[in-house]
This record gives sequence, C-alpha cells and structure tokens, in this order.
Amino acid sequence: MSTATAPAGTAGQAQATGVYVYGIVPEDVETDPEAHGVGGESATVTVVRHGRIAALVTELALDRPLGTPDDLLGHERLLDATAAVVPVLPARFGAVLADRQATVDELLAPHHDWFAAALRELEGKAEYVVRARYVEGAVLREVIESDPALERLRVRIRDKPEETTRSERIALGEAINTAIDARRQADGARVAQAIEPSTAGVVVREAAGELDAANVAVLAETSREPELEQVVRDLARDWAGRVEVRLLGPLAPYDFVTELQPGE
Amino acid sequence: MTSALQQSGAVDRPTSASLADVIDTILDKGLVIDAYVRVSLVGIELLTIDARIVVASVDTYLRFAEAVNRMDISQEKEGLPELMQDMTQGGAKHKVKGGVQGVLEAAGEKVRDVIDEPAEPERVPRRRRQAEEE
Repeated sequence: MSTATAPAGTAGQAQATGVYVYGIVPEDVETDPEAHGVGGESATVTVVRHGRIAALVTELALDRPLGTPDDLLGHERLLDATAAVVPVLPARFGAVLADRQATVDELLAPHHDWFAAALRELEGKAEYVVRARYVEGAVLREVIESDPALERLRVRIRDKPEETTRSERIALGEAINTAIDARRQADGARVAQAIEPSTAGVVVREAAGELDAANVAVLAETSREPELEQVVRDLARDWAGRVEVRLLGPLAPYDFVTELQPGE
Repeated sequence: MTSALQQSGAVDRPTSASLADVIDTILDKGLVIDAYVRVSLVGIELLTIDARIVVASVDTYLRFAEAVNRMDISQEKEGLPELMQDMTQGGAKHKVKGGVQGVLEAAGEKVRDVIDEPAEPERVPRRRRQAEEE
C-alpha cells in the first residue's frame, strides 16, 4: 500500500495530502479556478494530464473524514456539470491517490488507451436517468382493487386491534409488496422500451425504494435531449396521479463505464 | 413539492441531483480505481455498504397494511383525492425511521438547507478549443 507524500509545491508542510480523483476527461479540458468539488470552498479542481487524457482532481488533506453530504454532492455536481459540456468517465466516489505523479503512473498511463477510446465513444453523449415513483395511495388502491383475496383479507382485519392481527397484517403487507414488485417489473420494462429508440444504451437499475416504479439509466446524445423529454412527458401523462416521473440529466455516464471497459 | 405537477402528469426536471439521487449513483457506480492504488481512507467502505438500504421489511409490510386498512374502497370507487393525500402524507410521517434510512433522510434534510441557498452559476471545466471559438 502506498502512502501519501506531500507534493513538491508544499514541501515543508507536515500535513499529509492526497489527490482526490473525480474522473477522466480529454487532455484539452481546462478547469475554472472557481470550480469546487469535495473538500470545501478552499479546495480547487485541477487537471493532471497524460497523453490524450487527463484526470479531474482536487488536492485533499487526508486527516479529514471524507463522505459528508457536501462531499457526495460536490463529487456528483462537478461531474454532472462537466458531463454537460465534455465527455467524462466518472470515478466511483472516494478514490484518492498518493499524489499527482501517482495519478499519472498508476491511473492514467496504464489505462491510457482504453480511457481515450471510451472518451471518444462518449463524445456528445451523456447519461440521463428516468426515476418513477408510485403515488402510494394510488398504487395501494390499484393493488387491492385488482385482487379479491387481498380485499377480503383487508376487510377481515380492518376493524380488529393491531395486536391480535399482527401476522395477518404482515401477510397482507407482504402480498401488497409482491404485487407492487410485479408492477415495477412491468413499468420498468415499459420505460426502457419507450425510451430505448432515443438512446445509445439502456440500463435498468435496481429499485432504490419500495415505491420505486422505474429507475432507468440511458446513454444518449445531448442533442436528443428534447426527444427524451418528450418520451418521458408522454409516460408521465399516461401515469398522471399514479406515478411521479422525474428525468435527471445530463449526468456523467456512471452506469455505462463498465460497458466501455474492454473485456478483461 | 411536486403534488401540483403530478396531478397534471408533468415531469419533474430537477436542475441538480438531490442527495438521495447522488447516493443511488456515485457510491456503487462509476470507474473503480483499484484498492491497491488508492490511498485508504477511513469511512468510505462503510459508507458504500450503508448506502445499500432498499426494499421491504416487516416495517414496510405493516405500513402498507395500515394504509390499505384505512382506505374506504368499496363505498367510493373514485375520488377522495384530499383524503388520499392526507393519508399518504400521514403515512410517511408515521413511518418508523429505522436504521440507515433514517440517517440518510436526516442527512438529506440537513443538506437541503444548504442547497436552498441561492445557487451560484455552475463553474465547470471547459475545453480550450471551445474557449477559443467564443
């Protein structure tokens, strides 16, 4: 395991620092001196260049815990803002290398060719995520109304005290959850199918909550964003009152990095 | 919030990711930099594991059961929008905040205060050749 060493510019300073890596961008990217990511206002974002690629980085003191809400938001916001204008391969949160030289030697140089190829592939594209969530009252009503057995169970325990019907209540809730899960499979597939023609790739993500209706990531040309918005608007209109739909993006292509990686 | 929007079937189009969305994304997706290259930092692995909350528990089942038991399904097939909305919101409030989810929600609340401050224009990296074109 390598240990952090102070970069040459800060010789004499006792504090250990590391280089926090946000992601990989083309070599010709320049950062705004006012750009911030993790590490607060004082930590600026710079690039470490090598060949045709560069790493977006922030020098970070290692004696602070990493992973506050501000750090998480800082990481993603910098990457998403970057992805809106240039291709970027996002790193998973929390990657810190020893120093700038290590960033070249251990990250950029060994993977230069596939990073460069992946960035070419991403030119003009970004990730978008469709997140749909059931309106709880509406989906519960839908589930109960479509299954007479559940309706009977509901009516049987409705007016009885909770203490004496706990196992029936759990059984009812579990059956409802299973029924929502079946709807989630169908609705997720519907989103993926509707949006696929406007994209260069689709990943159906796992549900992130029990009322998730769909969580679908797509890679798409940013020029086709209006088309994506139209598809999602049509879905939202069909599902009005039943499902809330959000469209996130442009985002860095978090869900497509592994696809871009050459087979190992 | 979005309740007015969802009535009309409009799409919520947030301009930047919320903490919940971020957690769903950056903790287990993206380029993985090998552990033997990385400098190890306390807390990161834990954070990654904690983020994988998700899906149903007995608490969820009981909450669903409670919610449907309070519905008046046979008498009024259609409507009761206000009542339903009350129930949904009440349900969310009553929900026992267990474990990690509670922590994340609490963190989300804290962050929202920060986010609500007037947003500065986003400072982003740009390309030399784009800068030159302008």
